[in-house]
Amino acid sequence: MDREKLYIPMPNEQMIHAQIEQIVASGMKQKQSFPSYLKSMVQQVGMRHLFSDRMELSFILITAIALLSGLLLMPEQIQTDKVYAFVFLVSPLLFLVFSIYSFANKTRNDTFEVEMACKYNVYQITAFRMLVFSVVSVVVNTLAIALIVMVSEDILFIRAFMISNTALFIFSILFLYALMKRRSTVIVAATIVGWTFGNLLLRFADNRLYSDILVDMPLVVYAVVLIGSLYLYMNYVKKLIHFKQTEGAF
Amino acid sequence: MLVVKDMAKQYGDFTALKDINLEFTNGLYGLLAPNGAGKTTLIKMLATLIAPTKGEVLYNGKNILSMDDQYRELLGYLPQQFGYYKNYSPKQYLLYLAALKGISKKEAALKIDELLEKVALSQVVNKKMKKFSGGMIQRVGIAQALLNDPKILILDEPTAGLDPKERARFRHLLSELARDRLVIISTHIVSDIESIANEIIMIKNQQILYKDSVEKICELLEGHVYETSIGYEQLGVFRKQYVLLSEKQEQGNMIVRFIHKGNPENEWRPVSPQLEDVFLYEYRDEIDGEA
Repeated sequence: MDREKLYIPMPNEQMIHAQIEQIVASGMKQKQSFPSYLKSMVQQVGMRHLFSDRMELSFILITAIALLSGLLLMPEQIQTDKVYAFVFLVSPLLFLVFSIYSFANKTRNDTFEVEMACKYNVYQITAFRMLVFSVVSVVVNTLAIALIVMVSEDILFIRAFMISNTALFIFSILFLYALMKRRSTVIVAATIVGWTFGNLLLRFADNRLYSDILVDMPLVVYAVVLIGSLYLYMNYVKKLIHFKQTEGAF
Repeated sequence: MLVVKDMAKQYGDFTALKDINLEFTNGLYGLLAPNGAGKTTLIKMLATLIAPTKGEVLYNGKNILSMDDQYRELLGYLPQQFGYYKNYSPKQYLLYLAALKGISKKEAALKIDELLEKVALSQVVNKKMKKFSGGMIQRVGIAQALLNDPKILILDEPTAGLDPKERARFRHLLSELARDRLVIISTHIVSDIESIANEIIMIKNQQILYKDSVEKICELLEGHVYETSIGYEQLGVFRKQYVLLSEKQEQGNMIVRFIHKGNPENEWRPVSPQLEDVFLYEYRDEIDGEA
């Protein structure tokens, strides 16, 4: 008896490969890039709700104005290294005030748990706000430096700009590290106090190295440090977006 | 399906929960235990608000913490303390939360009207919440938990502050919702869930004591629950001898409901055990301690 030969249509290599790709693509979650994640957050949540608190916005505005007006009180004749030291110390201040107010406001509010269970939770909103605050801080600090340069001719704009932004991002990294590693108000406060008093101490102790770094360090070195700190800062912001708390925040 | 696997939660030396293994499919689950038994800890771990010290929670085989926002998109959650912004109206607050849940403004507006109608707040949609009673706030909380039409709805003590009429409406709403989703309610009020829960989960000594239907749990005390009438002066002795479940005055005497696992007296009337009886019996030490 003739047996009917069973024919199984085997796919060729190319088709097998295409089908594997298709299965993997539909089974695996597409990893969204950081910028596209931020874009979809802005589209879905909207700027209005990302900065929902009118009190917060007024507070930010008043702080920015106060900081800029404070610069007008600076005496015209002042030592160059003192100005640079002042820029280094004060540059993160605006970012700090914005971020700490925003973060404390969100985590201490009774609404914390409800907002934490939403698709875009408190940490993601905070990370986005911090990014915006750092951009605002860069703009305000640059404006302030421009004002200082107009008053005092000995100050180099590019050096002051580098010092200001390096300080901003180094501080931001320390701040985010303290926030995520320790999650205690004391540690965050200690970071802020440590930064302020550490700098003031170095400044008033008339530390030669400190003033040399600020006045004489080549701009290229500053640029490298700035790029490095900016890279680290972005990494920390990304980490905050996927931050998982273990025992409740603060 | 939501699976809790070998989960434990430790706060320093204090063990809040240990060896927790649970499986949830669609339907309504009542998490029943006295205050401080670990209900909220378990609920918070299911809502990804805290991470377990040991073990994991899986949704359709995936760890819920790794799923991150994908899991939260499926989740509706009402915490024990529902926080709100006092100067917001329910509509403003729900629009804000809808945005955080990634719902478009147009879709949210329609959903909010429908939900506020469901929780009987359509008359006060634009009123500031600072003027609301506790029950009204709680209803806003229930509405926000339903905004994203969640597949998993977790409610921690949702009936706190609701009056009897609101409780009845709420029970009706929950049984309707549980038809096509997973609903977990934590409570210490037996009547909230007795008539609507598919299964009851009881926690004792940081572990799961029972996870079964109301009928099956009640069967555990079958033949051991009695009622009888005694004189007021006998009450003290009776309390020492038996586990008293309830007592009420009637025509100068006391009608007592109690548990006895030996031979009954002739005048005792056997009654069908209720979930409340099991609750009072199992947690008698904790309840006596509180008293």
